[in-house]
Amino acid sequence: MKPNTIHMKSKNLNVPTINSGSMADIAFLLLIFFLVTTTIVQEKGLSLLLPPKTDEQVDVPVNERNLFKILINSQNQYLINGEVRRNLVGLKDEVEKFVMNQGANPLLSVSPEKAIVSMKANRGTEYKYFIEALDEVKAAYYGIYASRVGLNADQYLALDHSNPVQYDLYLKGKEGIPMNISIAQPD
Amino acid sequence: MTKLRKKPNRQTEISTASLPDIVFLLLFFFMVSATIRPPEELLKTKLPQAESISKIDRKELIKELNVGIPKSAQFGSEPKISVENRFIELAEVAQWAVTQKESLPEALKDQMIVLLRADETVNMGLIADIQEELKKVNARKMVFRTLEE
Repeated sequence: MKPNTIHMKSKNLNVPTINSGSMADIAFLLLIFFLVTTTIVQEKGLSLLLPPKTDEQVDVPVNERNLFKILINSQNQYLINGEVRRNLVGLKDEVEKFVMNQGANPLLSVSPEKAIVSMKANRGTEYKYFIEALDEVKAAYYGIYASRVGLNADQYLALDHSNPVQYDLYLKGKEGIPMNISIAQPD
Repeated sequence: MTKLRKKPNRQTEISTASLPDIVFLLLFFFMVSATIRPPEELLKTKLPQAESISKIDRKELIKELNVGIPKSAQFGSEPKISVENRFIELAEVAQWAVTQKESLPEALKDQMIVLLRADETVNMGLIADIQEELKKVNARKMVFRTLEE
């Protein structure tokens, strides 16, 4: 027998345990607090890229036929290409025809790259009517993009950009047709 | 006489030791995915509705700007601009945009998105002025916050 080994009787060590029953209560309280105070933020809206600031007004010559003019006055009435309109019914189709004209109708655009939709409001116009008009124009463009890849506008807007296959479809729809929406300075 | 020892009535308890674990897991999920957004207290902002709404992919690039009519009458009835629950003047918008840009990493500075939460009755004059201020500091990506129709 080795001289250094000591046989010890194993004592029944009664380790006092902390009652962890209340841990669940604390956790539930914290959880409910977070559920109530936070929101899963979903920021969505109409996107727009502003033109760069120009110090001098450089007037680029634009052919009249390539310009689709939407004006809104301080009474929130629309003047579209010279025609007074009370509502925006049919604007989406008009814009679509204008952009995709490809030179067919001499009054409409030469090509989608040259087509510009110009929106000009009055300083007193209500934001709501500007957004309505912008929404219709965007719907027209998204409709064009969507039909180029065989989807409808809602499906096109719902494409997930982090998914490579869907992002590819998204890019294919946009290709060659820039969203030329020009927001003019209100007067 | 050996007494027949009755088997003591042992009720087996369900161990609830793992309950806090589950709850903490849910808690951490919410802490990571949700953001504490303090509710808009200063301005009334009834958002306009729209259909062609695009989702914003990178949430960290969003900086919010609110425009609306003050809720409490002491601030007047003209539309005012507020950021992070404090009023700012039109002239301070450019400065605010620069500060927000600084808070982003170098590569993403030009990708900053200004989210405009404006009440639908605000007139376009003020909106256009805000846009001019943002153009001055090259904060050109804007999203107009709208409700889904």
